[in-house]
Amino acid sequence: MQRVIFLVDMNAFFISCEMTRNQDLVGRPAAVAGDPKKRTGIILAANYEAREYGVKTAMVLHEAKKLCPDMVLVPPDHGFYESMSKRVMTILNRYTPIIEQNSIDEAWLDMTGCESLFGKPSKAAQGIMDSIRGELGLWCSIGISENRFLAKMASEMKKPLGITELWREEIQYKLWPLPVSSMYGIGRQTAVKLKGLGIETIGDLAVFNRQTLEEKLGKYGVQLSNLANGLDDSQVIPHNRGEMKSIGRSTTLPEDITDIEQAKRVLMLLCEEIGAEARKYGKKGRTVQLTIKYGNFQSITRQTTFKPTYLTREIYGAGLKLLEKNWDANKPVRLLGVSLSGFFSDCEMDQISLFNCGGGERGSEKEERLERAMDAIRRKHGYRTVGRAALMSYKRER
Amino acid sequence: MRVICSKENLMEGINIVQKAVSSKSALPILEGILIEADGELKLTGNDLEIGIECFVEADIKETGSIVINSKMFGDIVRRLPEAEVLIEVKDNHVVVIECENSHFEIKGLSSEGYPEVPSIAKENTFSISQRIVRDMIRQTLFAVSIDENRPILTGSLVECREGKLTFVSIDGFRLALRQYETESKDIEFSVVIPGKTLNEVLKILQPLDTSLSIYSSNNQIMFDMGRCRVVSRLLEGEYLNYRSIIPKEYETKVRVNTREMLSSIERASLITVEEKKYPIKISISDDKLVVTSNTDIGNVREELRIEMDGKKMDIGFNPRYFIEALRVIEDETIEIFFTSSIGPCTLRPVEKDAFAYMILPVRIKND
Repeated sequence: MQRVIFLVDMNAFFISCEMTRNQDLVGRPAAVAGDPKKRTGIILAANYEAREYGVKTAMVLHEAKKLCPDMVLVPPDHGFYESMSKRVMTILNRYTPIIEQNSIDEAWLDMTGCESLFGKPSKAAQGIMDSIRGELGLWCSIGISENRFLAKMASEMKKPLGITELWREEIQYKLWPLPVSSMYGIGRQTAVKLKGLGIETIGDLAVFNRQTLEEKLGKYGVQLSNLANGLDDSQVIPHNRGEMKSIGRSTTLPEDITDIEQAKRVLMLLCEEIGAEARKYGKKGRTVQLTIKYGNFQSITRQTTFKPTYLTREIYGAGLKLLEKNWDANKPVRLLGVSLSGFFSDCEMDQISLFNCGGGERGSEKEERLERAMDAIRRKHGYRTVGRAALMSYKRER
Repeated sequence: MRVICSKENLMEGINIVQKAVSSKSALPILEGILIEADGELKLTGNDLEIGIECFVEADIKETGSIVINSKMFGDIVRRLPEAEVLIEVKDNHVVVIECENSHFEIKGLSSEGYPEVPSIAKENTFSISQRIVRDMIRQTLFAVSIDENRPILTGSLVECREGKLTFVSIDGFRLALRQYETESKDIEFSVVIPGKTLNEVLKILQPLDTSLSIYSSNNQIMFDMGRCRVVSRLLEGEYLNYRSIIPKEYETKVRVNTREMLSSIERASLITVEEKKYPIKISISDDKLVVTSNTDIGNVREELRIEMDGKKMDIGFNPRYFIEALRVIEDETIEIFFTSSIGPCTLRPVEKDAFAYMILPVRIKND
């Protein structure tokens, strides 16, 4: 059976979310941007009014202001965007259970065999677009094709509120004329390499000698050649815990710090988020990795291994040891990151330890109940409603 | 300094001391090998945890000393022809290495900044055959913990009491113990040696009956093999009381052939995918021991005839723990003592108490 794959891409997602709760932003140039006083002061998402002035994502603030002095700037609220994203996914779930979320604002849907339920693909797509717009006030573009790659390329072709079909037999005139740099999966580096081979458009890539590509780019070259020819047999894989390799969080600090006490609080915040995520998926990891990026952009990563856990306190404990061991008060720190990996591939193997037959076990069971209770409260009443005393005077700044 | 020695002897010495040289260190001098010529030619590697000194047969023309990057020195010497090698230090710490038609001039470092390998008073001495120590390390080292959260367990307890030398490793899930009756009844000591040190010592020791002297102080231990000495820091802290951990009672006792048991468990642990690990289940009843494993890909059943005493038993294990213990047991027949389906089991010799391997089970779901 011919596969039918959708890619639903939310248009100007962050700022559109803001526009749903702030009427003042509607109909005038506006953007979500980091605090201009901070180093994260770049445009994260501009609305279509601002884009008309040439404002683009990732543009430095003062540059954007020059192009569009009247633009309203809103600080980001990732929690809100996450929750909106979840609501979008809930709507998508009505159409198919096979959803692979690619990022906060886009997802692939496997709609194969859904015609008798929702009609032709274009009709189903219109239904999805109308639901999201009607229920959430958000715009999206939808690409329709027979595989993930072409669906993604199609979704890019008409924005905002576009529904674009791109089938394999149409690629010669719809896809091939596009520059190779606009191809999904090709970054700046690869584009440069391809240019070196005389490849400018996707069409050039499609007809280029595969052997030469393989020599120059390895397996990846073959893969690109396939994609350019509209071939992609990868499946839409509903995100499940099986494939999660690591859970990580990192944050660029509002300013460089040299005080380890400050770093500890940031570490705890990061570990709390990781712990909550790990518990959500029931993934116990045995490796904690700490990333420190210094003011001079040099970074180090250090890791440690211990018994598998998803408890915030234990992740934090391991992270703290690494932090203390590697802290250098003479080197200002710009970014801190923590990740949990080495997931226990089989929790069925419930190994009894010398140390957990007695009180130790009860201790960590209690800890787990506590942390799970916090997770539940936060899910229901919001993240800020309950927290650790150590962080009471500290609000996370993003 | 100016010395001449054979490439073969030099390479052997480098290989030994390199085990104590860190490949990456904050102090460049610690990435080097200290070469000293003073009556004898001595090589030293030292990463501040372990120090290894090795004497190399050489013709000393001029005394002196130098530090040279370990990796480069090793790589150069390895590729030299099998002939006499000349090592000479010139002005500004330039080291000349010459062998047949090869001539190297390499920048060295002054030996002044090289940290001294701690010396140990030769009071608490203990002499024993290299073969025995080598076996005892080999047969217990695998159960040393890698969990940095309990640093003391990353080493092995080496204890001498009432004429018995004992090596013990515990990683929280299992225990490995070896014991040897010595002739000297009056020496008593108890130290915890880092697993890393034992791993290096194991590589240096020869399976020969030549003697090895062990000296220990409060925080250092030295293994003296004559031409070569290893000094290591000891781990500080209280080791677990292993005597109280090994159960004295049992519910079920079985007597099995070691090789048969090993082969069965090795086979039973074959049906796994990549890193996914599965437990094995051992069921004992009616003079039969059945090893089974059910995984996503299939299942396996292995049956062994045994002699048993006590109740029936169903218990799950991480097969690796059994395999690692059974592999180092040389006795043809052993006895295994089970306490309960969630309690430790212990592998012991039929006679005497030269070893004990205790393994904690995994909880298995009854399906």
